[in-house]
Parts: sequence; C-alpha cells; structure tokens
Amino acid sequence: MSIAKRVQQWATFARTWHIYDCTWQNPFESAKLVKSHLMGLQKPIYHPMNDCGDHVVLINTREIALPGDEWVKRVYFHHTGYPGGASWTLAWQLHEKDPTMVMKKAVYNSMRGNLQRRHTMQRLHLFADDQVPEEILQNVTNQIRTPRSIPQRLDHIDKETLENFPNIMDYPKDYILR
Amino acid sequence: MSNSHLFLKSGFPRAPLQNGLGRYVCQLQRITLKFCKNNGSSRGMRDFIENHLLDFAKENPGIVVYVKPRRHRTPVLVGEYLNGEREWMSCRNSTQEEISKWIDLLKTQNGSSSSLRLRKMWHTEVPSIQGPWTPFLLRSPDAQGQAYPSVEASKPLETPQTATEKLIELFRQQQLEASEEAHDVLNKKRAE
Repeated sequence: MSIAKRVQQWATFARTWHIYDCTWQNPFESAKLVKSHLMGLQKPIYHPMNDCGDHVVLINTREIALPGDEWVKRVYFHHTGYPGGASWTLAWQLHEKDPTMVMKKAVYNSMRGNLQRRHTMQRLHLFADDQVPEEILQNVTNQIRTPRSIPQRLDHIDKETLENFPNIMDYPKDYILR
Repeated sequence: MSNSHLFLKSGFPRAPLQNGLGRYVCQLQRITLKFCKNNGSSRGMRDFIENHLLDFAKENPGIVVYVKPRRHRTPVLVGEYLNGEREWMSCRNSTQEEISKWIDLLKTQNGSSSSLRLRKMWHTEVPSIQGPWTPFLLRSPDAQGQAYPSVEASKPLETPQTATEKLIELFRQQQLEASEEAHDVLNKKRAE
C-alpha cells in the first residue's frame, strides 16, 4: 500500500468526536440519534462488520426531560443474582443516585443485544453537567443538533425585555395576581 | 449462507504472486487417480487412463501423476496445489470426457474453488472516481475553528413558528401600520 493510499485509509476510517447537549431533551428520542453516531450508521461506508463508529460526548444529562409522567412510572429493574436480590428503582430515584444513568440506559437499550454493544458503549462519554475534561473536549469536532429546541424560562429572561413585552390585555385594577 | 457453510472459507478471487503476468506457474502440483480394475463405476476412469493419461502427463511435466488401483472402491480424483490445499473429487460413473474436463479444471485453478465463498460477486480496480468518502468531506466551513459545546450548533435546523412568535410578529405589524397612518395624516396636514 502506497503512502497516499495509507493516508486515504486513515482519513476514511478516522473516528470523529461528537458532542450532544441533553438539556430539555427526551432521552429515548435522543438515544436513537446518539446510537446512529456511535455505530457509524450515518456514514456511507457503514457495514455491520466494519468498525466505523464515532465517539459521542453527552453533556448536561442532569437536565434531561422525560415525557409525561415517566419520572414516576418508569421502573428500572436490577437483580443481584441472590435470592430476594431483585430491586425496582423509579426513574426519578435512579436520576437522583446517578444523573447519567437514565441517559446511559436509554442509549444501551436502543441498541440490539449483540457482542458489539458493550464495545460500542465504550465510545459513549456521559457528563452530568457541562464540565467536560479538557482532553476530551479538544477532540470534539462536531455537535449533534437536538431534535427539540430549548424553551426559554421566564426567570431567565432579563427584566427589560419582560417589561417591553406586548400584553394582550391589561389586568383590571382589582384583580389579585397570585 | 446457511448453517452448513459456517466454517466455509470466504475471500476474494485472486492470483498468487501475480501469476500469469509475464510468467505462468501451474498451481496444481500432484494429481492422484484412484480407481477399481473391475467395478463398473470406474469404467470412465479406466478409459481415461487407457486413452488420455499418458498424453496428459507428457503435456504437463510440472504435474506429478499418481495412479492407484484399489479393489471395489469408487473412482476418485485428488489434486494437491502449490498453496497446500488438497481437493478431493468423486468420479463415480463419470465418462472419460467428463473426467478429462474435471482434470482440466483442477489444472487451471489455483486452489479448491468450491471451498471458497466469494465475498463479492464483482471486482473493480477503480472503486470510486470521486475518491473514497471521508468524514471531512462536504463539511460546512463554519465548523472550522468553532468552539464546542456551542448553543448555535445545538439548535434544531427547522422549527415551526410558535404562537408567541406569531403574536409578536402581529404586534410589530400593527405598530408599523399605526406609524404609517400617523405619517399619512401628517403629510396630509402639511399639504393643506
């Protein structure tokens, strides 16, 4: 193999690092997106026997938004293997214990259970907040666009904008605002 | 591919050491013809040995030919190749024409072709005229030197207009119209 061809090979199979902001995102919707980047499904060279998956850095996993009443209805099962070792943890309890776990399990469960799955998961880097180590951040060359836009919170809007915001109607003087 | 082919070797068709470019080395090294002197199933093999085998051996001095008579057994062709492979082939009830065709096949191939699953049914020396794909192909120039994580790069590309945005737009339009009307009134008064 000539030098030019060797470099071509490196370029084609180069691992890209992606970053994904989980703020206000549905973990199960995001997991499909993250999975396709982890496995390299978005590449034209993809083949199941071809090791072309990318690294994905997930930040702000503490800020994920589960749909509906999933925080109280979703249950994570674990069994220690001993008799009576079964345990059921609600999603909000798991999230309190480890804020990266719900997102990690969502990505893990979105992939098919085969021998490759655990190796693919090694390429996933989860962070509860936006504090990412410098040596990881310097590899990142792409950001994955989120499927949902982040709504702006009322207490985060500055006071001037809020006062100048057009009102549909004025409250009557004797109206009690709670 | 079925379960019976799980251990079948797979690969691409290739000539060892560019065989046939400039010089040709016959890859078949040894051939053994096993047959029975009495049995009817060996009749074609016996005919072949009687009529064609000496010519074959003279034409191909690079191939060692063994002839092995054995009682009441099926006639068999065994070829051994330069790459160490050994191919066994039953010639039960074959005619001498069939046998000479099979031997010709063994002579011209460079290994047992039936024990290799072809990974692809096509071959090209020029896989792509545009050049192979790389992850850096067709990347937006904005991505150059951008700091991550960034808020702009995280936003979804197409978002439908929200009710709030629609209201603000209506409000702006209303204000514009009002100011234009005031402007018109002023102009009229000036004209008077």
